[in-house]
Amino acid sequence: MITVQFELNGKAVSVDCPPERRLLELLRETFHLTAAKPGCGIGRCGACMVWIDEQPVNACLVMAWQLEGRRVRSYENLATSTESAPVRDALARCGGLQCGYCTPGLAMTLTHLHRLEPRPKRDEAALLLAGNLCRCTGYGGIRRTLAQLFDPAIQAPLDESTPT
Amino acid sequence: MNTPDHTPDLTPHRLIDHAGLLALARPRPDAAAKLAATPFPSDHLSDQALHGAILGSPHPHARILAIDTRAARALPGVHAVLTAADIPGTPCYGLRHVDRPVLCADKVRCIGDPVAVVAADTAEQAHAAVTAIRVDYALLAVVDDPLHALEAQAEAVHAGGNLLHHLHHAHGDLGAAVAACEHVVEDEYHSPRQMHAYLETEGGIVEHDDDGRLVVRFGCQNPERDRQVIAGILNLPPDRLRVIGTPVGGSYGGKDELTIQPLAALLALKTGRAVRLHLNRGESTDLGVKRHPMRMRLRSGCDADGRLRFIEADILADTGAYATHGPEVLDAAIEHVVGPYAYDAVSLRGRLAYTNNGIAGAFRGFGAVQTQFALERQIDRLAALAGFDPLCFRQRNLAAPDAPGPLGQHVLPFDGPHRALDVLCTHALWTAPHRHADGRYLYGTGLALVHRSDGFGKGGPNAARLVLALAADGKLELRAGFTEMGQNLIGAATRMMADHLHCAEDDVRIVLGDSALTPDSGPTAASRTTSIIHRALRDHGPRWRAALVDAARVDVELPSAARTAAGGLVSEAGHPVLDYPSLARQCATTRPTLVIDLPAEETPSDIPAAHLVFGASAALAQVRVDSWSGQVKVERLVLANALGPVISAEGLLGQMEGGAVMGQGMATIEDLPSPGGRYAARNLDGYFIPTLADAPEIEVLAIENLMADDPAGPRGAGEISVNVAVPAVANAIAHATGLTVTRLPVTPDTVLDHLERQA
Repeated sequence: MITVQFELNGKAVSVDCPPERRLLELLRETFHLTAAKPGCGIGRCGACMVWIDEQPVNACLVMAWQLEGRRVRSYENLATSTESAPVRDALARCGGLQCGYCTPGLAMTLTHLHRLEPRPKRDEAALLLAGNLCRCTGYGGIRRTLAQLFDPAIQAPLDESTPT
Repeated sequence: MNTPDHTPDLTPHRLIDHAGLLALARPRPDAAAKLAATPFPSDHLSDQALHGAILGSPHPHARILAIDTRAARALPGVHAVLTAADIPGTPCYGLRHVDRPVLCADKVRCIGDPVAVVAADTAEQAHAAVTAIRVDYALLAVVDDPLHALEAQAEAVHAGGNLLHHLHHAHGDLGAAVAACEHVVEDEYHSPRQMHAYLETEGGIVEHDDDGRLVVRFGCQNPERDRQVIAGILNLPPDRLRVIGTPVGGSYGGKDELTIQPLAALLALKTGRAVRLHLNRGESTDLGVKRHPMRMRLRSGCDADGRLRFIEADILADTGAYATHGPEVLDAAIEHVVGPYAYDAVSLRGRLAYTNNGIAGAFRGFGAVQTQFALERQIDRLAALAGFDPLCFRQRNLAAPDAPGPLGQHVLPFDGPHRALDVLCTHALWTAPHRHADGRYLYGTGLALVHRSDGFGKGGPNAARLVLALAADGKLELRAGFTEMGQNLIGAATRMMADHLHCAEDDVRIVLGDSALTPDSGPTAASRTTSIIHRALRDHGPRWRAALVDAARVDVELPSAARTAAGGLVSEAGHPVLDYPSLARQCATTRPTLVIDLPAEETPSDIPAAHLVFGASAALAQVRVDSWSGQVKVERLVLANALGPVISAEGLLGQMEGGAVMGQGMATIEDLPSPGGRYAARNLDGYFIPTLADAPEIEVLAIENLMADDPAGPRGAGEISVNVAVPAVANAIAHATGLTVTRLPVTPDTVLDHLERQA
């Protein structure tokens, strides 16, 4: 067992656990934060995406010992923040979600990409989003979401009308 | 017997193009909740809950000699270690065939077949207990091939033998029809074992509520049926159980049947505690059902004028260890192998074999997609032999809109196939060359046409009960035992409620998937729910509107022509009279409800499993084949859907795009082989599904026409995009490469071997 201290959604936390305990399990079982989903457990589906030090990471691939002193943000925190509002609005308006199970992970990645300076072009963003699998949409609504968020011709009016 | 030229005079198409659908699309009503990370059934964690774990068989086929659970029971934190001997009620479950043990007692029939189940304080303790259970097995010969399974000397997977279901259908004079043919194509086609790959693996919780009930919360497609079956297994009266099955993190048919819910319920019953059970991806792969792989020998022919004369089909499907929906899947395969075409003679045979290859069951496209792939390949090949354009050849051979159905049954007249082809024949992708090469890349455009059934076949669970109610807060509720799996049922139902009750969407609440709150509406399956709700509201909406007005009259004097409207009751001139919340308060003790029992609408023909209602879709696929790597990239898909009036544009778009890419996966990359009864992959690193980088440009077109006096209304949209995309992509690959595509998925190796042989 080790004691790990890190920041979770803006608060300092301390956990005693085996060093190899996965962040995904810590989030769900210890902190009851269930927005990160156990879709595959091996970093292939992106459903457990969180941010560590502002970078998107599959929580199933991170062990507890790697968390010491890091800043972890889960979708519970992001879902109520203004920085994800354009992404959430675009996903809802463009049909970017159906069953919704992949949605928190997808929104973590998308919000990260949308905040990057300079903002990626639509095709670049699409490549960077390919690690988030969705079995429902056929990516049609997700492609429309990308156009809204990353195509300069389309994104300007959306940003102005974005509710927070 | 020869078919006349069935080109009916079509009234003008009522066509909505892709841009039109996008303009109509609105956010799903449940989008906000999903974007706020509302929990799924498998997210209901509780510190008080015990953790369940399953001991599954490590062998595909073995006799159980002894199970010793003593060491496991003695471990710390362990509350229960249960085997088949601990089941108080029915030891097996199933649909048409009750053949699947809740826990195996005497033999195991596939990898992961549950033998024992454990509840412990922590997941680690549960896992330790599972590994401490000792089971002695005597291995049996593994049946991993459906053809061998049917040989006389094959090891029997079940006591009754390995032939689970078979059927035969023939009409017309086959000999004469064959003799009339100038061109005949015969081949054997193979379709893959596709995995649903819903991202939420099977999981949930069973808790005890204050009323002494077990509350079973797992994503599913039919909470009421599950409640009845689990009650039987636990030997409890059904009112001791509540089953909540919504929302579902993806299903596509895969969560239609029970899997692990009975095990969690059994543990909760025996321990008196709440129990969680959630499969990891490997366990889900082992225990979850798959698409039935099929071997399909087809022989069909046309005369010198390009008229189809006959089709013969011999279908062999692998259902794996247990029946689940297997027989219905085979029935659908046989009914749809004929297609929307006319023949002089039809001869069809289907067999369904038990094997030790996991378990196959319901999957979007449901038996039909396999045979539609084979049929549409045959049609393209015959068109080429006869010297016809593939689209013209199909038009030439369509059955008349009022012709009998594929099995000769009475069906609702329908000109959807004619319209779908007519819309595509002028599409720019079709009028451009169907094949060209650009150095390294080969491009091809393929066409497919399918019709597919709505609802279950004759004798299936086609009836439905729905409830309309005025809730305490004044919402106009539709209560249905269906579940929201992402298909936008809530959105479509909200729209229909507003339309038929003449109210606003904000006045409506859709209550789904909870046996304590919702009636027995039958399965959320077979593309049936939109049609069912439409029928219910069309036929009973006027009565319900009148009931709301009558309820108000008890205490309030209303204008004689008062009616429902947005927000509440209004006078004839539209002046507000009483809003719905006030109405609900006013009749607090006798709030009106209306129970709607929709009878099954089935074909009157005496043909088991035959369908009455069909929708249609035609698709164009454009592929780019890399002649260096053999990889197929699907670049464009165009789907022209003849499904009647569009209820929910966003729902239609989502179902079409999602199903099309699922079909693209089946045609190009997805297969789960089972050599020796062991799946070749157990996670998404060995079984690949399409990513964003693989997704094509998809164009969806909606043709809203139905025949005059059509009694059914909108056709289901949940499956047909899979059905049509698979053969369209297969035909496109054939056009691009010249490969005679007979086996899906078309792997890079197959493409490269073909190109090398050509060179």
